[in-house]
Amino acid sequence: MAGVLLGVSAALAGCQREERQLRLDPPVADALDKIALMPSRIGGAPPEVYFKLGKPYEANAYNLSQGKRLYTWFGCKSCHGDGQGGSGPAFLDGWWYYGPELVSIFASIRDGRPHGMPAFGDKMTTDQIWQLAGYVQTIGSYEGKTAAPSRNDEKQTRPAENRAPAKLLFDEGPSPVHPDQGPTP
Amino acid sequence: MTRPATAPDTRDIDIERTRLTSTLAETWKTPPGFWGALTTVDHKIIGRRYIFTAFVFLALGGVLAALMRLQLAQPEARLIGPDRYNQIFTMHGANMMFLFAVPVMEAVAVYLVPLMVGTRNIAFPRLNAFSYWIYVAGGALLWIAFALDMGPDVGWFAYVPLSGPQYGAGKRADIWAQMITFTELSALAIAVELVVTIFKQRAPGMTLDRIPLFVWSMLVTSFLVIMAMPAIMIASTGLILDRLFGTHFYNPAEGGDVLLWQHLFWFFGHPEVYIIFLPAAGMVSTMIEPFARRPAFGYLGLVMALIATGILAFGLWVHHMFVAGLPRLGDSFFTASSMAIAIPAGIQMFCWLATLWDGRPVFKTPLLFIIGFIVTFVIGGLTGVMVASVPFDTQVHDTYFVVAHFHYVLIGGAVFPLLGAVHYWFPKLTGRMMSETLGRWSFWLIIVGFNATFFPMHILGLEGMPRRVYTYQPDLPWHGLNVFISLSAVVLTAGFLLFFINVLKSARFGEVAPDNPWDAPTLEWATTSPPPSYNFAMIPVVGSLHPLWDERDTLPVADGLRTDRRELIVTTLAAAEPQAREASPRNSIWPLLAAVATTIMLIWSIFSPWAVVWGSIPIAVALIGWFWPKGTPEDES
Repeated sequence: MAGVLLGVSAALAGCQREERQLRLDPPVADALDKIALMPSRIGGAPPEVYFKLGKPYEANAYNLSQGKRLYTWFGCKSCHGDGQGGSGPAFLDGWWYYGPELVSIFASIRDGRPHGMPAFGDKMTTDQIWQLAGYVQTIGSYEGKTAAPSRNDEKQTRPAENRAPAKLLFDEGPSPVHPDQGPTP
Repeated sequence: MTRPATAPDTRDIDIERTRLTSTLAETWKTPPGFWGALTTVDHKIIGRRYIFTAFVFLALGGVLAALMRLQLAQPEARLIGPDRYNQIFTMHGANMMFLFAVPVMEAVAVYLVPLMVGTRNIAFPRLNAFSYWIYVAGGALLWIAFALDMGPDVGWFAYVPLSGPQYGAGKRADIWAQMITFTELSALAIAVELVVTIFKQRAPGMTLDRIPLFVWSMLVTSFLVIMAMPAIMIASTGLILDRLFGTHFYNPAEGGDVLLWQHLFWFFGHPEVYIIFLPAAGMVSTMIEPFARRPAFGYLGLVMALIATGILAFGLWVHHMFVAGLPRLGDSFFTASSMAIAIPAGIQMFCWLATLWDGRPVFKTPLLFIIGFIVTFVIGGLTGVMVASVPFDTQVHDTYFVVAHFHYVLIGGAVFPLLGAVHYWFPKLTGRMMSETLGRWSFWLIIVGFNATFFPMHILGLEGMPRRVYTYQPDLPWHGLNVFISLSAVVLTAGFLLFFINVLKSARFGEVAPDNPWDAPTLEWATTSPPPSYNFAMIPVVGSLHPLWDERDTLPVADGLRTDRRELIVTTLAAAEPQAREASPRNSIWPLLAAVATTIMLIWSIFSPWAVVWGSIPIAVALIGWFWPKGTPEDES
């Protein structure tokens, strides 16, 4: 009986991560667009409604896997590569130019960044940008999330997101990947 | 540990009848109360529990079916959204196949087979208890997940890549795959018990040609389970590894194979159909004797047909994959083997018809269900021969034609005999008769409702309505038939409701049943209704195929078993000559603890591979406790 109760409570906690919101109400989508950025455009606060919804883009399995799909569809790989970087940062080593907060990633995708990151604000819906941002955050995450997607059905160049590759790749040793990043980026 | 009821080494022949029964009752008893319920290893208590649980899952699955019919009753309905609908049809299929159909057949066998072969308990009774707890845990896992919006949504056969890591987001497909592990584990446990019970614990004199047909069918079924289930356990384990750990069993880019899933799944999945059908065929062969008032026609033919079906069952899985693009020669081979299975099915069908033809049929509810089964199953079998042909199958693949076909064979071929069996063996289960009036009403409602629900689906399928759609557009020509089907489903539901009412009412207020209310010939009717904990005070000795008809009042018995400990007779495989007295284990809490430990490990392993490492420690502890000598009299043997 205790086992059943334990199972129920564990499952209740994980309930949110399985929800599938196929279409956002337009007012909610509008509100989700109103993030408050710091003047440096790094860091800030997501809109109120984001918390009301229960932070759906960080721990919801469906949104994360949609984000992964968008990452492929919008050609993110061509610059950010699959751990190799190329012309943009690879995320995979846990190194963020503009910080690892979701709002910063959202702003990067929506508005673009200097030195080559284009703005996708007019190519994707707000919902999609949030999904993509949530996924991008998992790429450089130091902890494997159970909601994070696993491998794709394609050639594998790196460990899957749910295996927390950033932790595997982050190297503090004598010749670190990013010497200026400090012990816990 | 309980003290023996009589002095050590007391034999049954040494004490008088009344003292014998009270002594045996003391030795074999399940203590009343909660603790007794948790520790029991009595196959009758576990079997009853198993049957009850399986019927709860039937009712739950029925509710899902009703929801789907509500949604499809009109085009563009808004009752259920696409995501929820995907979960519902997956849950319906997985629940009915894995939590109802297979377990209920094995549950009936857990209850009946030891009685029918004239022994005191099933072989490995603690494994039997373990099996039930594992089954309940698997069912709870699936349904709790569904209640939390986490139910699997990939179809009951969970094809990759849809269920794989790339497209199956979240833990839904993992829930499905792990539920499979639970149910296969419990089914394998029962299969092993049944094989040993049937091979080694038959009453003296029950040679191979005197085994009741239901027992034969369960023997064949158990071998099917033992050979088919490992395929699906490997498949689902590979799926979980792919999803959680990033292995490449089903990733073509890294040398895996998507079709491998379909082959492994259907290598299990097609025998699964016969794992459900063969016990039902055995029930029919057994039940038809008392109602036709003559022995079943063609005993040898019926047994050979069971075995032939069991062998052929492994040679036709590819007919589920005709549109997967396999070589033509392979398709032709599997077309031929699929059609060949109609031969043993036909042999059985004609044997049953001949039995009825030559007998003096008594049309009680069980016989009505048998006749309903014959009619419905023949229709399902005919469409089965149709879809065995590649061009036809290519046309109707994934349409409602297939839905109609498999509901005809599964409900017609397994659920109807099962309902008949419930009416037939109810007195042996509860000691009371089921109401004949309510039984007839429920039979007619079910048979009419069933055919009106599922027959039009053939037409819908030919009109092109695909399976697994949550809605359809108003300009498609499917609306009228869908309304009709949904209305007929109401009749079918009413029939099942009446059946459940009949069961619940009869269990409390039914007419008290004598030992052998149907004047049936098999051994389970030789003991009281319901049987005592030790089944038979003295183990019967069998001299013919129909012991209760041929030796009506003077059933010979064997003596010499000890009464102070749980003992039963082990006999030789073919001739059933007594070989040894064998101890049967006492009640124990360890099967439950082992099941809890296994459950924690299996569910945890959905989330972290380390669960297999750390979770195996409690399992090891539980198993050590299970097998640790407890100082009971049974240990000495």
